[in-house]
Amino acid sequence: MNKKKSLVMVLSLILALSAVLAGCGGEKKSNQPAKEEEAVQSDGSIDVSKLDPVTLKLYLIGPSQNDLPKVQEEINKYVSEKINAKVDITMIDWGDYSQRMQVITSSGEDYDIAFTSSWAFDYLPNAAKGAFMPLNDLLDQYGKGIKEVLDPRFLEGTKVNGVNYGIPANKELAQQFVWRFNKKYLDKYNLDISNVTTLEDLEPLLKTMKENEPADITPLAVPKNFKPYLPFDFVLGDEIPIGMYMDTKDNKYVNILESPELKAALQTMRKYYKAGYVREDIATLEGIDNMKTGKWLVDREITQPYAELGWSRSAGYDIVTKPMHDPIIYTSSAAGSMLAISSYSKNPERAMMFLNLLNTDAYLRNLIQYGMEDVHYKKVEDPYIEDLPAMNENYAMPGFALGNMFLTYLHEGEPKDKWDAFEKFNSSAIVAPTFGFNFDTAPVKTEVAAVTNVAKEFIPALYTGSVDPDEYLPKALQKFKDAGIDRVIAEAQKQFDAWKAEQK
Amino acid sequence: MAAFWKKVVRNRALLIMVIPGTIWFLIFAYLPMFGSILAFKDFRISRDGFFASVFNSKWVGLKNFEYLFTTSDAYVITRNTILYNLVLIFLGLVISVGFAILLSELVNKRMAKVYQTGMFLPHFLSWVIISYFAFTFLSMDKGTLNQIITFFGGERISWYSEPKYWPFIIVFVGIWKSVGYNSVIYLAAITGIDKSYYEAAVIDGATKWKQIRYITVPLLKPLMIILTILAIGGIFRSDFGLFYQLPKDAGALYPVTNVIDTFVYRGLINMGDIGMSTAAGLYQSLVGLVLILVANAIVRKIEKDHAIF
Amino acid sequence: MTSRPVQIEMPMKPRKKKKRDYNEITPAWNVFFNIVIGLFSFSCVFPFLFVIIISLTDEQTLALEGFSLWPSQFSTAAYSYIFETGHELLVSFGVTLLVTITGTLFTLILVTTYAYAVSRKSFEFRGFFSFLAFFTMLFSGGMVPGYIVMTQFLHLQNTIWSLILPLSLSAFSIIVMRTFFQTTVPDEIIESAKIDGAGEFRTFMRIVLPVSLPGIATIGLFSCLAYWNDWFNALLYYNKPDLTPPLQFMLMKIEKNMDFLIKNAQNLGSFNAAASLPTETVRMAMVVLATLPIVLAYPFFQRYFVQGLTVGSVKG
Repeated sequence: MNKKKSLVMVLSLILALSAVLAGCGGEKKSNQPAKEEEAVQSDGSIDVSKLDPVTLKLYLIGPSQNDLPKVQEEINKYVSEKINAKVDITMIDWGDYSQRMQVITSSGEDYDIAFTSSWAFDYLPNAAKGAFMPLNDLLDQYGKGIKEVLDPRFLEGTKVNGVNYGIPANKELAQQFVWRFNKKYLDKYNLDISNVTTLEDLEPLLKTMKENEPADITPLAVPKNFKPYLPFDFVLGDEIPIGMYMDTKDNKYVNILESPELKAALQTMRKYYKAGYVREDIATLEGIDNMKTGKWLVDREITQPYAELGWSRSAGYDIVTKPMHDPIIYTSSAAGSMLAISSYSKNPERAMMFLNLLNTDAYLRNLIQYGMEDVHYKKVEDPYIEDLPAMNENYAMPGFALGNMFLTYLHEGEPKDKWDAFEKFNSSAIVAPTFGFNFDTAPVKTEVAAVTNVAKEFIPALYTGSVDPDEYLPKALQKFKDAGIDRVIAEAQKQFDAWKAEQK
Repeated sequence: MAAFWKKVVRNRALLIMVIPGTIWFLIFAYLPMFGSILAFKDFRISRDGFFASVFNSKWVGLKNFEYLFTTSDAYVITRNTILYNLVLIFLGLVISVGFAILLSELVNKRMAKVYQTGMFLPHFLSWVIISYFAFTFLSMDKGTLNQIITFFGGERISWYSEPKYWPFIIVFVGIWKSVGYNSVIYLAAITGIDKSYYEAAVIDGATKWKQIRYITVPLLKPLMIILTILAIGGIFRSDFGLFYQLPKDAGALYPVTNVIDTFVYRGLINMGDIGMSTAAGLYQSLVGLVLILVANAIVRKIEKDHAIF
Repeated sequence: MTSRPVQIEMPMKPRKKKKRDYNEITPAWNVFFNIVIGLFSFSCVFPFLFVIIISLTDEQTLALEGFSLWPSQFSTAAYSYIFETGHELLVSFGVTLLVTITGTLFTLILVTTYAYAVSRKSFEFRGFFSFLAFFTMLFSGGMVPGYIVMTQFLHLQNTIWSLILPLSLSAFSIIVMRTFFQTTVPDEIIESAKIDGAGEFRTFMRIVLPVSLPGIATIGLFSCLAYWNDWFNALLYYNKPDLTPPLQFMLMKIEKNMDFLIKNAQNLGSFNAAASLPTETVRMAMVVLATLPIVLAYPFFQRYFVQGLTVGSVKG
């Protein structure tokens, strides 16, 4: 048999087979029970007798937990009573989540609810691609409770072209970077941090450390993803140097590499690098174990109310902080943790009812996070609980990924006003100029991919001072231009202008 | 048609033998293959499942391929991919066959077995582990190499930001990891060679060197050719960990470590764009196909019997 | 076989009782070869030993001193940590073993039958089936279609078959095996068997397979390794918490999670993820535990291997 004939046969085989597959994939039935509509009473409560029993399939992020089936049974008992639904929860571990969910959504599996965010199983591209169901109508009808408890800016900030595709978890809405200090050394040298805000302000402190402490102490203990604070609102994350000035007058996106602020920061970092204030191998350092060793003076972290208490507790020594800037609400910080309904879901109404419960019902919310009372935790004085050993071993759920955090119990040592402090933190925050604007990268995806590559090549080395900015900044600029950064900026500007016009 | 059925009947025994394999190929290789058309589509999810999504997505022609060629890196990554692979393939071939022959000649067969077992080990270690190990040598402040250099009064070298050393490091580690494994394959073939050939050669007074040159190597040739052709076909799919994990993804080293795989990975990992990933895969497959056909054609010209097809 | 070639000298080592092979290399060369290969071989084993040492290092010492061949403080804490949760590890080891053995048997059946058929010059569909196999090396549909076939067409997710089937066959092994058949089994043998009245199957089982043991061992080894090291299929198809995944997957998961959590530390602000992480030495200990069994099993393979290879060889 000759080759050409073989090829033709193979190709026709593929065609025939794909027809088979297509037929088998098309088994989905669309059932639209109008029952949910009738079940909602005029006062907002739900008449369970009008609902058919359904099972909702959930994908959540985090390691799988041994006691999940047990807890799930409890959840089901409760949720059946409330909305005649059961849940079937699958946990997918941190590192696997994005990839796995990508395959699951693309394959058309009919799950109901999934975790999504700006950093894992990315909300924006998947919403744009059509993976999630538009929620606005569902929210009005079945999710009234959510709208009442959630800071409205959460829903405002996560709109894509005016449509909500996910329910953000009520938690810290703003983002604030702080310098963290190892108090041991502050006390030892009597260092004053009250005037420290900028990178430049750190210099005398770092110098003292370098001169008086042995070489294995890292004064500025930061890994390769370190970024000096820049007063910009980034459009594609802080790795890609495109942003708008926080106090922008003309609402224009600029190439941050061309800004004087960055130039100054890079010179400072270069100085620090040469002086040995940072690790020599910083440009390749994925993470840094300064917390474990205690051999550091200052590093950089994102904070939230009372964060330093938790940090000190887990480090085993005192840590104090100093903010670099006021808390700021970005589009991305609003999308830090969300639950979305799949566009393949057969029961979106019930899924929304469940999400509503998760955000308003303290019993359910604590059950899903902390497990069963007296099995996984013990109630102390309200609102405090104490973990039992079974919690750490068999039911350690990531609380921030499970809906409204303000309903959850507190642990001993946490201040009673923790959640009030969160609300205060949120309301005190400045709103970034592009808050609520979501950039759809689809029209320039080629350029974005190329720019990402250039960023990975140059940003860590430049921002950590590992290379001379006088030589490498122009090089990086040129490479970014070759990769099409100007087209990305132009597209972002175009979309932003259109969005801005709509807002008025 | 009748002639065809006659042929089927005539070959029935062998046909039955290929059935299990054929079924596997159809289900696990050919059935999913139609997903390749995503490379030419702008994938959007539609509510009626994957197939509806595929069919409803817009055709975009070659747009998904553009990413591979738009930047100035296109030349660098192609050059790196091809050069590294050629060096790794040919150096690997020579060293593997050489070691296989050495192993087969060792007097103490028990030691030979011990060595062989040892050489095989890197194959079991993941690139992550190997990159840790390399790090213990190359780390700027704690690394063994810098300790040696400073001992002799030299200047410490920041290995992970000096591109000039990396072509050697990559080739060295790449060979180190694969040689043992390949040697075992060649050794299996050498031990399979009929000993009477050597006996006859000895009677004719052939030296060891002549035996190797005129018996061992020619008899290994088919295997060498096949493995090399296949490796050439894989040129555009380089060993990802070697180029990504080993240099610790250090930006300063990109000019000498960036290959097509790492380029695609870095650009696409956060985008999760099925169309573009499929396009990249398809491009690699196509180039691989062309390379294999060319290599095969050359082999066929020289030695018809040893061509794969 | 009677005449000794001039250039080969008499045995030098008197303590060796066995008579020297008439076709041996000279002792000087032998020593040289031993050194070259011995050094290389040692350089291959060394990292593994090093990993073992690291896994036995005290966690605090590791953070302070970095990797060291002789750390000032040893500790078995990593291993006791793992064996505290040891039951699951044992089960998952069993899963890996089961998958590896079944999978390899499956592979050998598929590969040898297919490769034998396409190696036969008298097989009139040879071209077509060779091409059918070869073509798959060049194109793959990608992850998503494969996932759909497994989950929506075969409905095999969460079964052991989802770990076995995707790796059972590869065109590469078929081509390697086909070549073995072609080079080690001359057509004349098969023809003469035919004349003796043996059918194709009989010839295959009784004559072809026994002389092809080196090839089969090679393919078997390929296949064992592929199954042993596979974690990706478990990632795609295993998603029930009560279902124990294979060993490599557990290891990989820890690996990937560490990576992910480090890179996304700032997004996980509200959740103290770092506290629940296994530490560096535990990770190394996992590597050792995942690699050790196959390292220990390989020498046995090898013995079998070499036994099979000695067919027809003349020993002095």
